[in-house]
Amino acid sequence: MTIEFSLTKRQEETKAAIHNLAVSVIRPQSLSWDQNHGIPNDFLQRIAMLANSLGSLSPHTEVSREPEATADASGTKKNKGVNVSTIVGAEELAWGDPALLLCLPGPGLGGPPIRATGTQEQKERFFGFFKDISTELRWGAYALTEPGAGSDVAGIRTSCKKVGDDWVLNGRKCYITNGARASWNVVFATVDPSLGRGGHRAFVVEKGTPGFSVGKIEDKMGLRASETAELVLDDCHVPAENLLGGEAAYHTKEGFMTAMKTFDNTRPIVAAMAIGIGRAAFEYACTFVKDHYVMTRPIPRYAAIAERLARVGRQLSAARLMTYRAASMADHGIPNAKESSMCKAMGGQAAIRACIEAIELCGAEGSIQADHRLLEKWFRDIKVYDIFEGTGQIQRIVISKRLMTNLRAF
Amino acid sequence: MIAFSPDEDQKMMVDSVAQFARSTLRPRIREFEAARALPEDVRRTAHEMGLGLVGLAAEIGGPGLGLLTAVLLEEELAWGDPGAPFGFGGPGAFGFAVQELASAEHASRLLAPFTEEAGHSRFGAVAWGEPFAPKDRAGLVSVATADGDHWILNGEKAFVTNADRADSFVAFAQVDPSLGFRGLGAFVVRKDSPGVTIKPRATTLGLDVASFGSLVLENVRVASADRLTGPTAPPSAGAIDSAFNGALIRFFAKNSLVMAARAVGLSRAAFELTREYCDTRIAFGKPVGHFQAVAFTLADRAMDVDAARALVWRAAWLWDTGAPEKDALLATAYAVSFAHESAMRAGDDAVQLHGGAGFMRDYPVEKLMRDAKQLQLCGMTAEHADQLAAALELDLPLDPGNILPSAESQNAFV
Repeated sequence: MTIEFSLTKRQEETKAAIHNLAVSVIRPQSLSWDQNHGIPNDFLQRIAMLANSLGSLSPHTEVSREPEATADASGTKKNKGVNVSTIVGAEELAWGDPALLLCLPGPGLGGPPIRATGTQEQKERFFGFFKDISTELRWGAYALTEPGAGSDVAGIRTSCKKVGDDWVLNGRKCYITNGARASWNVVFATVDPSLGRGGHRAFVVEKGTPGFSVGKIEDKMGLRASETAELVLDDCHVPAENLLGGEAAYHTKEGFMTAMKTFDNTRPIVAAMAIGIGRAAFEYACTFVKDHYVMTRPIPRYAAIAERLARVGRQLSAARLMTYRAASMADHGIPNAKESSMCKAMGGQAAIRACIEAIELCGAEGSIQADHRLLEKWFRDIKVYDIFEGTGQIQRIVISKRLMTNLRAF
Repeated sequence: MIAFSPDEDQKMMVDSVAQFARSTLRPRIREFEAARALPEDVRRTAHEMGLGLVGLAAEIGGPGLGLLTAVLLEEELAWGDPGAPFGFGGPGAFGFAVQELASAEHASRLLAPFTEEAGHSRFGAVAWGEPFAPKDRAGLVSVATADGDHWILNGEKAFVTNADRADSFVAFAQVDPSLGFRGLGAFVVRKDSPGVTIKPRATTLGLDVASFGSLVLENVRVASADRLTGPTAPPSAGAIDSAFNGALIRFFAKNSLVMAARAVGLSRAAFELTREYCDTRIAFGKPVGHFQAVAFTLADRAMDVDAARALVWRAAWLWDTGAPEKDALLATAYAVSFAHESAMRAGDDAVQLHGGAGFMRDYPVEKLMRDAKQLQLCGMTAEHADQLAAALELDLPLDPGNILPSAESQNAFV
């Protein structure tokens, strides 16, 4: 064991490859994707193929606890350092466009709960959807949030009831990334709200299931290229074989743990994406200041500008190191729930500060939307990074519980 | 390959220093504070452990462990008592100054007394700061004028760490007044040279184990051989305009990085004491740490400690691995600002979360809060580190007048 801060040769190459792609292909289209509410499928297909060939950042990848090289059910090869590789790639891709990674075809956030809880048969069946992305693009999604239950996951009200061989689901899910285009959604419901987490069940609800429909597609402040959907479950009949993990898996609190496991694994990726966007804004501001200010003048005003730039730079650097740490722990099979929450909390905040400060430093010009002037877009895109996958406040709850003795809930 | 675990040798050293901090420093912090110095037995043990020279290169008589190992150990020491590492015998800032500014042979000679058995009672110091800025030009008021094969130094040097304990100083003075901060010279000055007057030490807010003072130089004659001119090789970073200025900035950076490591140790101590207090102090029927306002504050401070440590480690690692100097300087600047500011937040919140008890000297946290503010003023302030970082981020030339502490901006204890 050692202390080291260099990327492997392969990680450096992947990073450079994604960066070049971001500069030459992704950024020039970024604003049009935002304006058109989506990324064209043919482009997504090319990127997905490329990401697969790079080995890192394939749509099947999420932060994994497995320390050694294994092949998981989706057939993805996992090699040493894969978690660090993933966050390095995620930062670079988000630097190019904040929504792109979220739009990539694949199981998305629906992957981790299936991998964690699904039976072998279910893993094969549901990951099988994504075997061949060369002909048709497919997505999976993760449907937990409801109009009345966001951070308070235990408070979901979507009901499920066994009727014959089927489960019947009723309720509404909202803010579901890729929920409308998804071939299947992992939907969380409860057999009895009074049971709290113990009553939770997770289902894979396939598109076309009777009683399943898509409600409205949200109009958002940012990340407008990413689809955010409302899902309606109206006497939705889900076959018993789509209950994730089978009935036996729910004799403990596993239902809720399934929901939460997803986040331990994906928070470092979201943190890395936030840092990529923050870095984009920071670099934009540095270039702007270089071009517009005479920094060598010893006028206090300029010292203040220097200090703000330095502060943003160091907060991003600190958050990146925290993210590397969380991912590196996962690479070594060390539990990292606290560290994942720390990097997510710091990454989101550092990046939001970066975007806010960048606009202020660039003045009026910073707020103007135009080709190759994406700062106002990043400002809109970044805010949600301190909200989704657990708000900054939720991260602090996760951290607090691991700091204080016997703190189960507030 | 990204990795965050000290190696086996480092772990062993960290363990033994942590043990020393736990059993010898922490239980006696109030005794040290009242004595305003470390007692001889503690200094002797520290000297035997080689703590006074840690961080210095092997070719000049240091242990050659590298800065990464040094920051690991400095964190542990400061965890025990943030003041203690200032009070051990050793060269202190003088060590980094001669390492960067003198030839290896000259530096070894200057550092030799600190490696001897009596080294536990020998101190070095750097006379950089001054009480006032010159009215009519940039740079230092103190001047050095050539006189044959000697230099004559005149001026008043202030904010000098361990001024009243040091046998030798690296003193900075203006050699070419027309060049401002780019026209400075560094000179080795001995305590007993004619014309040197050491003034009584100051009473300070915190870090009482250190001694902060000043000295007056009145027609002090320094042999030409004792002028430190920096490396003869050209500077490695294009942005640094002379070998001397490059060495000067490196000296400040490395010395400040050690201060940052101490700030991490202080932050961790404050955090741990406070976490424990909030775990056991009952209010409204439950531990105060079970209220969100308290727990979230602790969570923020925990993040501060971990992030500051990672930044310090990375900066030290960049220096040790011979990374481009601009990268190492930028990482150092980030580490210094972040660690200093998080230490202040840690000290402040420690007192705050202890409530009224925190204000009482029965508890150690009020000392940590005072020490945190004092430590923020040692080496390089967060404000100067930010100027350094911004200059690097914007590819500006590194002007010592902009990025180093001085009377015309903000003085620091060096």
